[in-house]
Amino acid sequence: MLTTSPHLHIRRPSPTTAEFTVTTRPQMTIPLRLLLALVFLTRLLLGTAVLLLLYSKWTQSPYATPLAVPPAHTPPPLLSTTTLLLNLKTLLATPLGLFLSNLASHTPVWALLPPCLAALYLCLHRVHTTESLLVLRGLGIQTSSTGGTVLTGTSTRFIPTEKICDVLINEAFRGFEVRYYLVVVVDGEEDLVVVFPRLLPGRKIVEAVWRGVRGCLCEGEKDGHEVKS
Amino acid sequence: MPDKTRRTYNIAMVSDFFFPQPGGVESHIYQLSSKLMDRGHKVIIITHAYDGRTGIRYLTNGIKVYHVPFLVIYRSSTFPTVFSFFPMFRNIVLRERIEIVHGHASLSSLCHEAILHGRTMGLRTVFTDHSLFGFADAASILTNKLLKFTLSDVDHVICVSHTCKENTVLRASLDPLMVSVIPNAVVAENFRPLSYEPPSKTSTTYNTAHKPNNQASFIHPNPPPPRLHLGPHDTITIVVISRLFYNKGTDLLTAAIPRILENHPNTRFIIAGSGPKAIDLEQMIEQNVLQDRVEMLGPVRHEEVRDVMVRGHIYLHPSLTEAFGTVIVEAASCGLYVVCTQVGGIPEVLPSHMTVFARPEEDDLVAATGRAIAALRAGKVRTELFHEQVKSMYSWTNVAQRTERVYNGICGDISEGEFYGYEAANYPGGNSWSAIRGRSGVQSFALIDRLKRYYGCGIWAGKLFCLCVIIDYLIFVFLEIWFPKNKIDICPDWPRKVLKEKDPRDGVR
Repeated sequence: MLTTSPHLHIRRPSPTTAEFTVTTRPQMTIPLRLLLALVFLTRLLLGTAVLLLLYSKWTQSPYATPLAVPPAHTPPPLLSTTTLLLNLKTLLATPLGLFLSNLASHTPVWALLPPCLAALYLCLHRVHTTESLLVLRGLGIQTSSTGGTVLTGTSTRFIPTEKICDVLINEAFRGFEVRYYLVVVVDGEEDLVVVFPRLLPGRKIVEAVWRGVRGCLCEGEKDGHEVKS
Repeated sequence: MPDKTRRTYNIAMVSDFFFPQPGGVESHIYQLSSKLMDRGHKVIIITHAYDGRTGIRYLTNGIKVYHVPFLVIYRSSTFPTVFSFFPMFRNIVLRERIEIVHGHASLSSLCHEAILHGRTMGLRTVFTDHSLFGFADAASILTNKLLKFTLSDVDHVICVSHTCKENTVLRASLDPLMVSVIPNAVVAENFRPLSYEPPSKTSTTYNTAHKPNNQASFIHPNPPPPRLHLGPHDTITIVVISRLFYNKGTDLLTAAIPRILENHPNTRFIIAGSGPKAIDLEQMIEQNVLQDRVEMLGPVRHEEVRDVMVRGHIYLHPSLTEAFGTVIVEAASCGLYVVCTQVGGIPEVLPSHMTVFARPEEDDLVAATGRAIAALRAGKVRTELFHEQVKSMYSWTNVAQRTERVYNGICGDISEGEFYGYEAANYPGGNSWSAIRGRSGVQSFALIDRLKRYYGCGIWAGKLFCLCVIIDYLIFVFLEIWFPKNKIDICPDWPRKVLKEKDPRDGVR
């Protein structure tokens, strides 16, 4: 519901430029936006709860130093470690905090850590994957791909035209299937650059992108070739 | 399409044995595939990955080869994990829209698995057996049981010789009607005698030079090549090319060589090939001081075989077991007189005027070689004519045609009577096999019918096989849910060839 199967958007701002975007993000509608906001909130709450749980487990362990709270009559500055620790202490005193510290004290570390880490991963995991290929005639092509988690950014790679030997479609075994993929053969590099490496869209999309890239990169050449991988 | 009624198929050849590894099965698969491509079919080859040969490749002619990554255990056979190949196999079959699965070689577990899964998926299956097996030792019993398992539910079996057919029918308890014999062939162009002129050139010069009479030149398009003369003191060279293993009769050869050389002064041997028995041969040479009369070349590549063969006059083949023996056809094609043991499928391979047969024992082999040498010296054998004769007997085009007829038969494109013979089809009350085979002459895909076929394999084996088939079916259902058909990309076909003309002469024999 939140994601769709990979689909292709082609943007051509000028005759010499084309951007091919493959994404799992569906068309944004109001219910979908609301749903995404709800998902975001849930993940935020879940993340906070997990962090709090881990913190309370830490405070209960013998390695933790007891919190040295300075006297209350001098309020510490807002952006300081002391404020943070004080807030954490107040949070732990709330019913939720009490429940969590109770839970932490009753669960051994080996049982607590894996679910917590899994929950954290779930909170940080990106919902949609978007990968794109930007072709600029005379300059080169740039591939970009969003990271797997919210923390990692988009990774991009620019290949100048003179370095591009060929752009082609190939087939390969992956897991239990055979997949089509688009590759750029780069001069002087042993490995091929796979375009859309995470989504690996199907033959239809890959072929459309291939034709588009050929048409945009090689001016004058008609893009009506037979696909030969 | 020149012929509307002719149907073309999408065929998957499955075997563990394929190039880059050299061998008879490998080249059989390649030649058959390329000739089937010429006839307008689509052929893909599924094998396992070799060193430096993985992924999906195209060969000349547009044959697509899938080198599936798998664990290799013994002499390039993969580990027989009964079900692990299924997901990948299903994916390949669906994306290539395969209709017929054709497995090769009974020692290839990939082939057996493919036939089992192919039947589960509702495809037509054919199996080609390339080798003979015994019945007595433990390895043979195991292999035979496995073969019985696979062949319990296969649409048709092809054997390379009648002896091989007999062997396979006994080993797998098959109905002989569903086993066809289609021999191997050789590419005669690659095995030409030393002084050979292509017939087209010869015939044109012959025609234009002095033949206004077209009738005569039609009957005798080429003049016969000049007769070879061997005087009583000319050296006769005997060639042996084989892997030096026990089953290839190397022990027999070791015993026979000194006696042959003693009896016939102007003879010498050239031995090519390698193997564990090479050391015995070398010892024999040392002991009898025959270094100047026996030449050992070591291993030769397949494309060099012809160059070795044309150095000799007689080809000696002392094998103890052989399903077909392509090498003696190659030798005859090179214009060599063939001396061979009368075992396995060898007597079917060549006409009697090209061969001298011996029983697989030392005395008889020596005597037969003596007869061959005498016949050559007397000029009784026209070895220079062998090439044209072999060329007309063995061609891959003919093999492909006959294989295509098998495909037609199992797919129901030609009637049961035409395929299996009218006597068998109309046999009154003879429902012993038609109950299994189904009414249209094709095997039913219903799970219960398949289970019935497997159940008869043995008291315990039958139940075990049924269990395997049921698990296979469950995996199939699971795969249908987990990897739905519409998510699998369909491959574009290589541009198909159109079969040009139908030559009435090379009809199916």
